[in-house]
Amino acid sequence: MNSQTNSPALFFEDLLDDPANHLIESAADQEKIPIGYTCSYVPEVLLSVEPLIPVRVRAPHVPGTEVADIYLSSVICSYTRSVLELAMDDRYHFLQGWVFAASCDHMRRLYDNLKYLNPPEFLHILDVPHRQGAVSLSWYTDELNMLADRLSDHHPVRFTHEAMSRAVRERNEFFALLASIGELRKQKHPPLSGTEFQAITLASLVTPRQTLLPKIQKFKESLSGRNGISDYRARILLVGGQMDSLGFIRTIEATGGLIVADHLCTGSLPAMRPVSMNDDPMQSIAAHYLNRVSCPRMMEAFDSRVEEILKSVEEYSVDGVVIEFIKFCDTWGIEAGLMANALRKKGIPVLCLEREYQLSGEGQLRTRIQAFIESMGK
Amino acid sequence: MKEKIIYTLVYCQYWTITWMKIIPFILRHGLYDTVRDLRRYPWLWIMLKVNRLLGKFGKGRSLRYQQAVSILVSGIVSGVTDMLGNIFFRPDRLIIHEDMVPPEIFKAMGLSTFMAELNGIMLPMIEPHAMEQYIDESENQGIPPDICSLPKSTMGLFLKGETPPAKAMVTSNLPCDAGMSSYALIEQKLKLPTFRLDIPYHFKDERALHFFVDELKRMIAWLEEKTPGKMDWNRLREICEERNRMAELEMELWDLARIRPAPIAGEAIWLSHMWFFNLFPGSPEATDIFRKILALGKQNLAEGVPAVKNEKYRALLWNPPLTHFIDLFNWAEHAYGVSLIMDSMTFNRLPFIDTASNETMLQGLALNIMNGPMARHTRGPAENYMDDIFYIHKQFDLDMLWVAGHIGCKNTQALNGILREKCREAGLPLLIIDYDLSDPRIVSREGIINQIDHFMENIMKAKRLDPKAGSTQESKS
Repeated sequence: MNSQTNSPALFFEDLLDDPANHLIESAADQEKIPIGYTCSYVPEVLLSVEPLIPVRVRAPHVPGTEVADIYLSSVICSYTRSVLELAMDDRYHFLQGWVFAASCDHMRRLYDNLKYLNPPEFLHILDVPHRQGAVSLSWYTDELNMLADRLSDHHPVRFTHEAMSRAVRERNEFFALLASIGELRKQKHPPLSGTEFQAITLASLVTPRQTLLPKIQKFKESLSGRNGISDYRARILLVGGQMDSLGFIRTIEATGGLIVADHLCTGSLPAMRPVSMNDDPMQSIAAHYLNRVSCPRMMEAFDSRVEEILKSVEEYSVDGVVIEFIKFCDTWGIEAGLMANALRKKGIPVLCLEREYQLSGEGQLRTRIQAFIESMGK
Repeated sequence: MKEKIIYTLVYCQYWTITWMKIIPFILRHGLYDTVRDLRRYPWLWIMLKVNRLLGKFGKGRSLRYQQAVSILVSGIVSGVTDMLGNIFFRPDRLIIHEDMVPPEIFKAMGLSTFMAELNGIMLPMIEPHAMEQYIDESENQGIPPDICSLPKSTMGLFLKGETPPAKAMVTSNLPCDAGMSSYALIEQKLKLPTFRLDIPYHFKDERALHFFVDELKRMIAWLEEKTPGKMDWNRLREICEERNRMAELEMELWDLARIRPAPIAGEAIWLSHMWFFNLFPGSPEATDIFRKILALGKQNLAEGVPAVKNEKYRALLWNPPLTHFIDLFNWAEHAYGVSLIMDSMTFNRLPFIDTASNETMLQGLALNIMNGPMARHTRGPAENYMDDIFYIHKQFDLDMLWVAGHIGCKNTQALNGILREKCREAGLPLLIIDYDLSDPRIVSREGIINQIDHFMENIMKAKRLDPKAGSTQESKS
């Protein structure tokens, strides 16, 4: 497959090398306030209200998790252990606050251990309901209002109607641009790889978006001059949780599986849908994040998650689905098998991959992907 | 010799009492139907041997302590036959419910209940290897091995089709991600109407109480729509009042346990709570059992007789008890004079339900569910976990903390680091027992004993009181 080694997307990849990139550091120098968050149930748009900047907490190139293992144990997901390891090493010093969601056992315990071991100046945990519906929405809206109050008490930020509306508008414009690039992957010969798309998506989660906007526009323009990718063997839809390592996607693509769509916690086309505004911006934000297609932590939404995947399979002409999740994730651990059965019943080939946060066992991964592609007759 | 004769007499007395409960159940069910159902539900073979617990709990214990645990086992046998009666005699009103959703409301609605996790908790107590086939079934169907073995056991039971047909299912987001997610699989398998309660993470304020009371109301309305059950508020009041009486007796029992040496300890405290508060709250028979156990403890106190002859150490057990080594504390009493005084599943600070109105009853039940041990410790913030441990340590004059470090319980594993440091600061000796809750293949009885020996010898500098204690009887079964 075309490797796109000189791709303009390399700019975005460079932004992912460290927990903090130069753009976020320069923004902090200009009185912007980077706030870290660890879960897609923390509405990043609320952390975009001026002068806040949302930063999805990542732990790239963590050398090991020896210290974190002492506290979190080795049976906790390696994303949370990696984050704690870097936090203990003060690698998130640029963040002026952390917002967690009580979304899963692992996140809650990361919050507890961080609070105990190296408490940040500002630390908050959102109580996100496990169900959708009016009662849950009201609870979650209250939670967001409480978060806004705490942030305002701690930082020079005001969550006025106007400020929130602006943040939502800018977010929607940004993701409309990103989604328009994602749409190109529906083509038979997409002009960009899954690795490139994921690099841009991830960069947008860890960099001030307004700084990134011109670069993405330029990247989009560059795509019109490209030949589409044609030397792939199968079109893959990638489904799963936290996935902020490009290495994993790159390995799949190097083996002939082109990632044409994704339903990931970090990324995901459905997550790029616009926030619809009504008279109450906080409620609009809450509704968007609570009601979108979800993580398996949401107790009653299995069928809608499957439906959404089936829809993407159709729209993106997907040949097979790869479900990936980080080892020890209980919700995905149980969901993956169930989802695989549901998709296979519809005649869709599925491969379930349990993995570590950092890319490891590359050879095994290649073998399994190759076998999967061959099993589809591709 | 005299002690052995007395032990045998008490054993025979309760052995007869318990069979007198099991045999009428079999006769009522009919021999043909019993044989058919033993084939349909193979776990019944083990469940019907429940009075084996008489030996496990009673052996080698002082007279009143043995009587107390035998009364308890007799109550458990009644409970088992009652539960089986629900399944076989009232299937049209049967609902399946998760262990974190207590049955008071279901009982007030006239529904029969089958607690889905009960087999995973109960069967290994009777036969340590009982759940292995169900765990294997789950793993063979793609459930990762690192998932907690209790939900794996439960899922395996459903996957093997060994559960009774029911009208509906009620579950929640408790106690952990694996427990919550297992119901997605069970729902897919059974295709049953399913209701899920959502318990907030921030549960200690009025806002959470209102939210959760509304959840309970929603559940009642849903059950009225999906099952033949109808809410009878007077019946709920009776149940809650009876439950309050049981809670009063339990508090008296705790007061006895505070005394050093304790006149009553071990299963008489923890298993009585686990069984009766979770499965049979509001049952006059359950209250009566508490009354009898308390009376035996008081007699011991009056005569200056400790439950454990050589009580040298008083322990707090954290996390659910080691189900496949259920006589652990009988062993520990003889081996080292370690007496189990309190545990995380028993201790609570909200024992009573205000029965003044329907609303206050729902509030009381809501508070009890939200503050349930696995809710506040496993789902809730770390403070809940730590604060309770050090509060109990002081209140019950304890010497050591034993954590049942179930390998599949990720969120408690993730607190061990903090706990170690806090115990060091407080001067509380800590033993974390590495094992698996339902699967003795991970760490055997002998493996658990070895860990305790190391701790007692190296940390507590204790010598074995009885070098022979540590029979391998269970591992052979």
